[in-house]
Order: sequence, then C-alpha cells, then structure tokens
Amino acid sequence: MRYPKEVVLKEGKEAVIRPLEKQDEGLLGQFYAELPDSDRWFMRYDVLDSKVIRKWIDGIDSATVFSMIAVTEDKIVGHASLHLRGFGCTRHVGRIRVMILPQYRHIRLGTWMLLDLIQLGMDKGLEELRTDLVVGVEDPAIEAAHKLDFFERGELKNYVKDSCGDLHNMVIMTKRLHKNWGDF
Amino acid sequence: MDESASKTIVWETPVGKILIRSFCSRDEIRICSFDSQFGIHPHYKSLYTRKETLEKIAGMPDANVVLALIDYQHIIGFGVLVHPEPEERWAELGAGIMIEIKAIEVCRDWRSTGVASGIVQLLVNHPRIEDMIAYMVGYSWTWDLDGALKTAQEYRTMLIRLFGQFGFQEFQTNESNICLKPENVFMARVGNAISKEVQTQFKWLRFGVSPSG
Repeated sequence: MRYPKEVVLKEGKEAVIRPLEKQDEGLLGQFYAELPDSDRWFMRYDVLDSKVIRKWIDGIDSATVFSMIAVTEDKIVGHASLHLRGFGCTRHVGRIRVMILPQYRHIRLGTWMLLDLIQLGMDKGLEELRTDLVVGVEDPAIEAAHKLDFFERGELKNYVKDSCGDLHNMVIMTKRLHKNWGDF
Repeated sequence: MDESASKTIVWETPVGKILIRSFCSRDEIRICSFDSQFGIHPHYKSLYTRKETLEKIAGMPDANVVLALIDYQHIIGFGVLVHPEPEERWAELGAGIMIEIKAIEVCRDWRSTGVASGIVQLLVNHPRIEDMIAYMVGYSWTWDLDGALKTAQEYRTMLIRLFGQFGFQEFQTNESNICLKPENVFMARVGNAISKEVQTQFKWLRFGVSPSG
C-alpha cells in the first residue's frame, strides 16, 4: 500500500494517513492523553501508561500489529490498528480498532482509516475482520461499520460497565473479506 | 490526433511476436480482425466485444487507441486512452486536463506475456501526456479473475505494479463507484506541466468538495 495518503474531509479539513513510526511515541502519548476519559475507559489497555504506548511502538515490526495514524499539523488526530494472531484457530481473523479525537469525528476520518484497515486485512490474506463496540457509547462507530458491510455477529448483554458502573451491551461485529467477486 | 505520434514496438514473447501500435486510426482498426476471445465467458465479459467501439473512440480528440497485433492484423490486445465524458466527475477539472485509461485487455491466450506492459507504455507515450492527468479506475467486477487465476486482491496488486511502472500512483477518492468495493483502485499520473493550482483542484475533486465549502 502506498503511504502517506492524503485525505480531504468534510468541512475542507485535511489529514495524512501513514503507518505509525518509532519516532511517533511522544505524539501518540499526547493523542491518547487528549482523548476524553469516557473513551479511554472502554479501551482494553490503560493508554495513559507510557509502557502501553512503548509496547505498541516496539510492536511496529512485529508482524502481529499494524498501526496507522492520521496526522494534521504535526499532531496525531486518529489511530487505527489491525491485530493478527498469526497462528491457530483464529489466524484468519484480524481484530481492528479505530480511535479519533472528538473534533475530527463525523467528518469521515474514521471511515477512511477503517477502509485502510480493510485493505490492509485483504493484503494480509485475512478472511474476516472483527471489532468489538459498546452499544450506546460507540454508536457512530457501529453505524460506520454497518455502512462498510460489517454485521453484528453477536451481542454480549450487560457485559461492560461504564465509569459510573452502569452496564452496557457489547456488540461483536465482523466483516468477511472476499477473495473474488462471487458475492455479487 | 496527428498520425506522426503513432509508434510501433515489437514485443517478443515465448509464444510469438506481437506488434504493439499506438494512435491507431479508424481505418487501421477497420481492416483488423478481432480475436474471438474478446467476448462473453462464464463470470466474465470483455470490456469491448466489438471492434467498432475501438473505431469510434479512435476518432475522438486526443484519444490513443493502442492495438496489440499478431500476424500484423489480428487484434489480441488493446488499450484505450480518452478524455472522460463531460458529465463525469473527472471532467470538472476543465476540458482536456484529465484523460482516462478507459480500457486495457489482452485475450486469454496471450496473457502472462508482458504485453499489457507494452500497451500501457504506448498509451502514455502521448505528445500531451505531461500537460494532462492520466488516470485509471479499476473496478473489481470487470476483472477476469477466472482467466487470470487470481484473487481480486492479487489482481489489484498486479494492476498497481503494472501502472506504477509508468508513473501512476494510487490516490484516495470518495467517488461512489470506486468506494463500493475495497479492492477497487484509482490511480493517476500527474503530468510534469500540471500546475500546483490544478494539482490542488484535483485533490479537492477526488473528495468531491470545493475549497469554498
């Protein structure tokens, strides 16, 4: 895939999408520090812990995590990642995650990053992509995923708690990556 | 187009010699025969099944119809470079600026001979190529995956490599037909004489937005 990719967003904002590089560690830390607490709460890791960021940076050449960032004016405004198992019964499945700063949401940046992850998954020969999203919290992401042919594969009722202790459903969404055009 | 722009190259392959000729005129195309493999196959229909379509395009302004010929007059491959229709998005940049590689096809028996590379080489060997933005749109549903024995992703990669040799780069666009499938691809070659201003307009056009909002 060719990087960097220039994208023009709604309202004329522009961003460049490119792979995460080792020298981006500081910028990535700032990005997650700027995310609202309510978003960070639902992540799988404590991204304010510098060791978590370091682990992602160290994983750049690992072939199990592929991270890309959206940059505008030397600031990271989006981070998307594709996680591969590389072995065993789910090696054909990639797990994806897209995080966008609030002021860059609803202007298609997330969609462009998601499209890139789909393309990357196809390049890696994956058969399916999976993303887990929290109902009532990540509804715009669920809607965007639907538009890109992800469908709800399962729902875990009252599975996650928000910071107030209220329970929410988590939906498991997957997208099949076809090797040919037989789906038409 | 001035016939002096026409060039011919000889393409030696393990299965025989192919002549590749650019800027073929209507008369030249008319006397050629069209290989019967340009037709309808299970899961695949050729881009053009009648050579009359090529004849018609050959008469258009700036158009470059490239033919790959065996036995001097039998068409086994073709390429078409032509300006977009006025109602297409890409025509909005102004008359004569964008030009599309509208078709490239080699019949099944002559694939894997590298002849497609020769066709693209002569397609972009155009006297105005540096004054234009040449582009190609790869729609996966037009690809002969069965004939090529490739997956859509492999076919896409092949196209990117093929056109990349001639200065084409993959660009993002929100054009709705291209966005329909992730394996679709949009590539363009920006001529050296294209101003920064037009390059910026091209960027905005790719995303269907105007600087004024």
